[in-house]
Amino acid sequence: MKKPNQQPALHKVIMVGSGGVGKSALTLQFMYDEFVEDYEPTKADSYRKRVVLDGEEVQIDILDTAGQEDYAAIRDNYFRSGEGFLCVFSITEDDSFQATQEFREQILRVKNDENIPFLLVGNKSDLGEKRKVPLSEATGRATQWGVPYVETSAKTRANVDKVFYDLMREIRSRKMEDNKPGNSRGKDKSKRKKLKCVIL
Amino acid sequence: MGPPPIVTGVSPKEGPPGTRVTVRGEFLGKTASDLSGLTICGCDCLLSAEWKSPNKIIARSGPGKGKGEILVTTRSGGRGTSTVEFRGYHEMIGPMKESAVWVEEAPLRKMWWGRRGLTPTTYQHDDPLGISIEGVEQKFPEDGLHKLFPGGSGDLSSENFAAGWFLLERHHATPFDDLRAGLAFLRRKVDGQKEGQLSFIKSNVGSVMEQLDTLAHLKERFEEDVEKQGQDPTIRLEAAIKESMLEANKLFEDVLSRRERADATRSALAVLQRFRFLFGLPGAIEKNIKKGDYDAVINDYARVMNLFGNTEVPVFKKVLAEVESRIAQLRELLHHRLEDAPTTLEAQKKLIRNLVNLEVGGDPAWDAISCHSRHLAATMIQCRDTHLTQEQTALEEGGKTPKSSKSKGASSSNQNTDWQASVPARVLLTEELADTISERFPDFWKLGQAYFTGELQVKVVPGRQQDFKKLVLAGISLFSGLLRAALMPHTLVKTPAAERASYGVWHSRGMEGLGPWLPHCLRALRQGYSSLIRLDLPSEVLDIVASLIFDLRVHCMSTLMKQAGESIRNLHTQESWNIQFDGEHGGITHLPAECERVVAEALQLAKDSVLLADLRETPLLESNVVQRDLNNLILNMLLGFVEVLDKLALGSDAMAGDSLGASQMIGSPSIFRGSDSVMDKGRNKDKETGPAWEQRLLSVLSNIEYTKCVLLPRIADLFARYQLPAQTGPLAAVNKALAELDQRVLDAYLEQRSDPLVGTIEPSMYIGNFNWDTAVKPADVRPYVKELLTNLISVHSEVHSISPGLVWRVLPQLVETVAEELARLMVCLDRKFNVHGTEQACADIAAIREAVQVYSTPTAEAFFDEALEAVPRLSDTQGKKNVETVLNHFRSRMRLQLMCFRDPKGTRNPS
Ligand SMILES: Nc1nc2c(ncn2[C@@H]2O[C@H](COP(=O)(O)OP(=O)(O)OP(=O)(O)O)[C@@H](O)[C@H]2O)c(=O)[nH]1
Ligand SMILES: [Mg+2]
Repeated sequence: MKKPNQQPALHKVIMVGSGGVGKSALTLQFMYDEFVEDYEPTKADSYRKRVVLDGEEVQIDILDTAGQEDYAAIRDNYFRSGEGFLCVFSITEDDSFQATQEFREQILRVKNDENIPFLLVGNKSDLGEKRKVPLSEATGRATQWGVPYVETSAKTRANVDKVFYDLMREIRSRKMEDNKPGNSRGKDKSKRKKLKCVIL
Repeated sequence: MGPPPIVTGVSPKEGPPGTRVTVRGEFLGKTASDLSGLTICGCDCLLSAEWKSPNKIIARSGPGKGKGEILVTTRSGGRGTSTVEFRGYHEMIGPMKESAVWVEEAPLRKMWWGRRGLTPTTYQHDDPLGISIEGVEQKFPEDGLHKLFPGGSGDLSSENFAAGWFLLERHHATPFDDLRAGLAFLRRKVDGQKEGQLSFIKSNVGSVMEQLDTLAHLKERFEEDVEKQGQDPTIRLEAAIKESMLEANKLFEDVLSRRERADATRSALAVLQRFRFLFGLPGAIEKNIKKGDYDAVINDYARVMNLFGNTEVPVFKKVLAEVESRIAQLRELLHHRLEDAPTTLEAQKKLIRNLVNLEVGGDPAWDAISCHSRHLAATMIQCRDTHLTQEQTALEEGGKTPKSSKSKGASSSNQNTDWQASVPARVLLTEELADTISERFPDFWKLGQAYFTGELQVKVVPGRQQDFKKLVLAGISLFSGLLRAALMPHTLVKTPAAERASYGVWHSRGMEGLGPWLPHCLRALRQGYSSLIRLDLPSEVLDIVASLIFDLRVHCMSTLMKQAGESIRNLHTQESWNIQFDGEHGGITHLPAECERVVAEALQLAKDSVLLADLRETPLLESNVVQRDLNNLILNMLLGFVEVLDKLALGSDAMAGDSLGASQMIGSPSIFRGSDSVMDKGRNKDKETGPAWEQRLLSVLSNIEYTKCVLLPRIADLFARYQLPAQTGPLAAVNKALAELDQRVLDAYLEQRSDPLVGTIEPSMYIGNFNWDTAVKPADVRPYVKELLTNLISVHSEVHSISPGLVWRVLPQLVETVAEELARLMVCLDRKFNVHGTEQACADIAAIREAVQVYSTPTAEAFFDEALEAVPRLSDTQGKKNVETVLNHFRSRMRLQLMCFRDPKGTRNPS
């Protein structure tokens, strides 16, 4: 049970993905209902606001990271603080889809956790006619990773709220799971580490 | 008021100073002008802020370092909050370094021209390992680092870079896993660096080509210019600059000349102004002097002397002379004011400063001090004279003052409004002097302090310190002397006559009735003293007053005690002889209680004002002399009470009092006259109402007993309560005096009672021509026996009615006397007993003996035996039977009377 006066729970979301795929566009659409047409590469932006998640007031903290390779160096640092990741690619750009593999690996390495809340997001769904990444390929990769796949459009706001809320729900249930007694994180961690070794 | 702004987004969330930051949120201002404040990390960034929409502002970050809030303030919503933070950091980046951030130019330029020149390898990053060091603020002590790595450095660019140092300094709290991650990160970066330059060119091939094109183009244009303009294009430039300078001068010539003219006018006006000031000055000075604004006068004077002091112009000189004369008048005036009755300290200081500023000769500050001192003395002397004459007139009018004050004295703590009229002049004097000293003296002292500390801005003449001290001492000595002369002339006995006279000579009659006022005087004096103590005076000065207070306390105490003694000695006039009984101690009059009240009152007064030591006072009783005096005073006071008792019992007044002589008993055997006499108004009519002497004696005896057993212990308790050391000496002496008095009073009573009692026996025995040799057969005891017993009963009742305990001291004595008289009568009988006479005598003696048996003593028994032996033996049993019959008859007839002699359940005093 939560006391009424307590500070609402804070969920830390990190936007990852190549440059220009629409991470900032998604974030700003979610935060301020606006769509930015011009492309302005991000370094690292921070957003935080209160939202109601399934009737409970929570705070969402969004770290919008840089997609440009130039900034790859500082990513590690940022990833460490994340509790959930939206891994975004543009369905109109195959490179960006390929890059998701690298991002996934970097996240797993930094977080050292196979089950970290994670959504694969195919953005720019409004540009269906320019699609380069087939839906099946994207869903295939998502199933392989064991994560959900959602297609969004920062322009039309399609599925924008959904990806953020779905991710927050995952984060929340992960936290509840971690807080359960007898399911200590340390134990989990060692298990995950073994798994990771197998993958590598 | 609208909703306050709230910042929910920042882009980017960190960066070096000058970073272009997009701030997003809600209610960030309805319009650009609604935005009234923006701080990032505590730095005001409003200047660079660009309002875009109520949701967005763009600004540049300030020089703040570290994490901080982004706060927006709007006119419509006030000061806002933020949910996100910006982190400012400082970084140095070489020109060849790929940089994701916009590089400030200023630090770079410094490097281009700096001595060290440009070192492409210079690389400084906050965090080469890519490990966040946020929040890890614990520092590793630097000394330790120096010890661990002698000559090393944690600076990445240093030749002596020591990795251990660096790690300890930056990451001594970083977990191992994180360090490993950092190492991996560093490795990747190094790898990247190797191919970095190539990839840099590769990825930027477009712009590199563009730059090359630009350079080629630049060269082309330059060569073109050289062709057109010749080798040195600056010649033409120089010519152009010169020409434009000429043109500019021409343009401004007009303006400049106008300015010059304006300046000239202005200075002319200033000169005129100055002249006006000079000529108006005499008038202005006069006006300001009238207003009392001396500061203004002094300022004006200084100014005029500055401006025209050295003038040679005759007109000016004339005016100046006039000014000088006004100023001289002012000096005079100020000096007079200084010597007049001193006003407040501040006003005086101001006057002195004014005089100093006016360059008056002499030493105005010292003048003020000595004038102050004179004034103080004069005030005190005048005060003395006023009250001296007041007392004299009062004394001449018939000494009304002391008398009326006496009645008021006891309640002096709460005087009503008309008390002033009856207050003795000396008390008023004390009050006034104490007021004077506490009001005037501090100013005097502070003035002196100001003088010596240089606050008055005058040079202190050497030796003045000593003079000032003399003045202070003189003032205080005068104060003390005046008070001593008025309140305690006896303490001035050793003072030289002339000095003594200067303190005033008061008539000794005026001392009467001063006693009750002394505590009041002491209070007033203490008030004055406390104001002196606050001044931080030299102890030499304070000691004068301290000793005055001490003496006054002693005097006050002894006066209080003496007064109490007097009141006690006067108590005998208050004796009403009303006997009150308390269960334990028989009857007493109210005198002991009165005495206790007087003592308690005196101690109360003494305690409040005398015994408790105030600030900087010595406890009175520490002095042995005072202690001894106090003992004497107490003894004297208490002896007063013994004297009162003595006087009441055995004084000439008491003796002259009505007495129940023997005559009344003779022939009135069965009437209890003695105990009735209080009621017997006829007998006491012409005397002042009151009991007979014998009864007074008894009352006094009872009072003595009470005093010994109850009053003295209570008084001892009182002393203890007021923290006076146990007064064993005086109390023992008083006890002794009491015991002695007790004996005398008892003797007096016994004599008074036994003489008539015994005297009646013989005449009564032979009443009705009775003779032992002609006696007939006895039928009853003889009447003298009954009379004797009745008289004894009346004494018993008299004593018992006042103090049952006394019965045991009185009756045995009487019984002894009676027995002795019986023995004497029987032994000295010159006639013979006949048989019946013998029976009668035996019966009589046995009856008496039996009746008083309870109060009998061995001595009495011996006398009874002696009496019996003088009577012949009873020869036969018939005789014995006859005696027995008589005794039986006696026992039944006198049953009631005999009951009086019984011991009523142990009233016998154990002593
Ligand atoms: N049509 C369409 N355009 C989009 C969509 N999302 C983003 N864009 C555009 O794509 C460009 C890049 O978008 P950003 O959101 O700035 O890209 P980013 O992922 O933040 O890029 P980095 O900050 O460099 O990592 C912008 O011009 C956007 O207008 C979308 O859903 N549909
Ligand atoms: Mg972006």
